[in-house]
Amino acid sequence: MQTASAIPSTAQPALRAEAVSKAFVSGQQRTQVLAGLSLSINAAELTLISGPSGCGKSTLLSVLSGLQKIDSGRVLALGSELGQLDLRALERFRLQHTGFVFQGFNLFPALSAFEQVELPLNHMGMTRDEARARARRSLEEVGLAHRMKLRPSELSGGEKQRVAIARALAKEPELLFADEPTSALDAANGQMIIDILHRIAHTHGTTVLCVSHDPRLVIHADRVLAMEDGRILSDRRNHAPIIDSKEISS
Amino acid sequence: MVALARKTLIYEWRRFLPAMLAVGFAGLLQLLQIALVLGIFGSTSLYITGSSADVWVGYPGTQSVGQGRSIDADVASRILMDPAVERVEQYLWVDGDWRGPRETGGLSVFVSGIDPSANGLMFSRVLPLALRRRLAEPDAIIVDRSDLQQLGVGLGQYATINGHSVHVVGISQGLRALGGINVLCSLDTARRIDNDPTDNGPTYLVAKLRDPAQAGQVAARLRGDTAFGPYTTWSAADFASLSVRYWLFDTGAGAGVLFLAGIVFLVGAVITSQTLIAAVNGSVREYATLNALGVGVAALRRVVLEQAFWVGALGLLGAGLLGIVLLLLARSQNVPVVLNLPAALACILLVLGLAAVSGLAAMRSLRRADPATLLR
Ligand SMILES: Nc1ncnc2c1ncn2[C@@H]1O[C@H](COP(=O)(O)OP(=O)(O)OP(=O)(O)O)[C@@H](O)[C@H]1O
Ligand SMILES: [Mg+2]
Repeated sequence: MQTASAIPSTAQPALRAEAVSKAFVSGQQRTQVLAGLSLSINAAELTLISGPSGCGKSTLLSVLSGLQKIDSGRVLALGSELGQLDLRALERFRLQHTGFVFQGFNLFPALSAFEQVELPLNHMGMTRDEARARARRSLEEVGLAHRMKLRPSELSGGEKQRVAIARALAKEPELLFADEPTSALDAANGQMIIDILHRIAHTHGTTVLCVSHDPRLVIHADRVLAMEDGRILSDRRNHAPIIDSKEISS
Repeated sequence: MVALARKTLIYEWRRFLPAMLAVGFAGLLQLLQIALVLGIFGSTSLYITGSSADVWVGYPGTQSVGQGRSIDADVASRILMDPAVERVEQYLWVDGDWRGPRETGGLSVFVSGIDPSANGLMFSRVLPLALRRRLAEPDAIIVDRSDLQQLGVGLGQYATINGHSVHVVGISQGLRALGGINVLCSLDTARRIDNDPTDNGPTYLVAKLRDPAQAGQVAARLRGDTAFGPYTTWSAADFASLSVRYWLFDTGAGAGVLFLAGIVFLVGAVITSQTLIAAVNGSVREYATLNALGVGVAALRRVVLEQAFWVGALGLLGAGLLGIVLLLLARSQNVPVVLNLPAALACILLVLGLAAVSGLAAMRSLRRADPATLLR
């Protein structure tokens, strides 16, 4: 296991899977999605998992984030073994440590961008003022300072995904999971999203784990894991400096 | 706190409107039903509630005012012997056959022969003193305004009851009866109208006590003496509720009220819960996202319950406002409607219960908000 290049990282990986197996049974049919998979993900990096459709990327993400139970093996997130936690404890773990960005934006139609971001913070036990300050900060960070009052119906697709990122970011999580965050967006917007995720990893020291089969994103990741049939096929690091998105799109 | 439940309710009011209407109509229906039943059956105890007597004396086994049989007038002296009693007065109930000046055919009327003196107890609460005094005139009667058309008379006109000529000297309000028409006259007039040879005394004796609060004790004390022939006693409150209960249960109206309440509850709950479930399902991915971010299921349930509460509260508000308008309208049309505090509370309880049940049903569909389903 190599250490991350220029970024100081903790000795322990933020996320570790050890011989994780997961199968789905529907009726007579049994699908082995993950078969004895092991990996480590470092903090303060943007790690991209890519691979063909149906190879188990999303399943891996849900297992690593504690949204699904595994059949065998161990998942260690920030030193806690997720398999040992009950439903309540898992909810508490996610509340304190994890953020999610999904393919769909999943924003409440009735709430303004600002309220979407503030809402989860209300449940973290911080004061109203702190929640609002944090919500404002993270919306500014994704470049939506001037869009805070708008509802989802008044936002573009890219803006909606940025609100979703701000919602996850405002919690200041150690772990940020993103499943196909760009697949509903055009190239330019997708570019912007991956740039933001990358920046979050580097400026906040967040462990960002992103799943995508979009080949354009590969060059933006610090590390790329290629997956096929429930196994990691290759583990590649991008030592090349991150290319500015404007140069790519032109 | 971001008020998710309320903001969603306001922003998507169209989606919640059916639930609010269902709750509102359920409440309104229930309110009007109770008010009508209380109004109609309450009028069966008008003789008691409209009078200032504290204790009633009548024939044993009497179930409602209209079913009394005559008792010995001398019982009055026994009643007066009790130091708690201040005044005793006779009340004569006669079933009459009314013939109006125009050919209207026979009509069944309830003739109430009362003491027309100024301190008379019977109907003292509903009959203005000036009108009451006019009853002293022989063969004078007073009828309710709402019955005029049916009786086919006007003020100052003559008619006959049981073949005896009577004269309308006054028109009053709030004297409507159930199953017949009330006609008020003096005891003397009533005796002349009465053509039942078995009647040889008053139907009731009514007594006023020095301390009305003692009605229950005094009624019990006066009971059970048979020296003057059979009679029994009730406090006014007991006799009134006996009367109303007799009507409610003898006519099956009570069962009808409960039955309709059940139906209203069921239909209201089905519509409301379906609407709330649809609203939850419409936001199920957003709820799942919140849960992925660590917002507990309990907190999400509270959002759904709060929505149900607001739907109930708004429905109730609508039902209340519309109900008051309709009740006032009914009053102005002489439709007997009465609403008391327990009845209103029962309506509120029914509506909030309906909303709560629907909220609980909708909460169940939160189980579909599994964050794992967002990762595919
Ligand atoms: N809840 C489930 N029940 C049954 N089978 C499932 C379930 N979830 C996933 N699978 C199966 O597991 C396999 C991997 O699914 P997964 O969603 O992880 O793929 P993926 O790599 O994310 O694909 P894509 O790139 O298309 O999103 C698929 O064959 C899918 O049919
Ligand atoms: Mg997937």
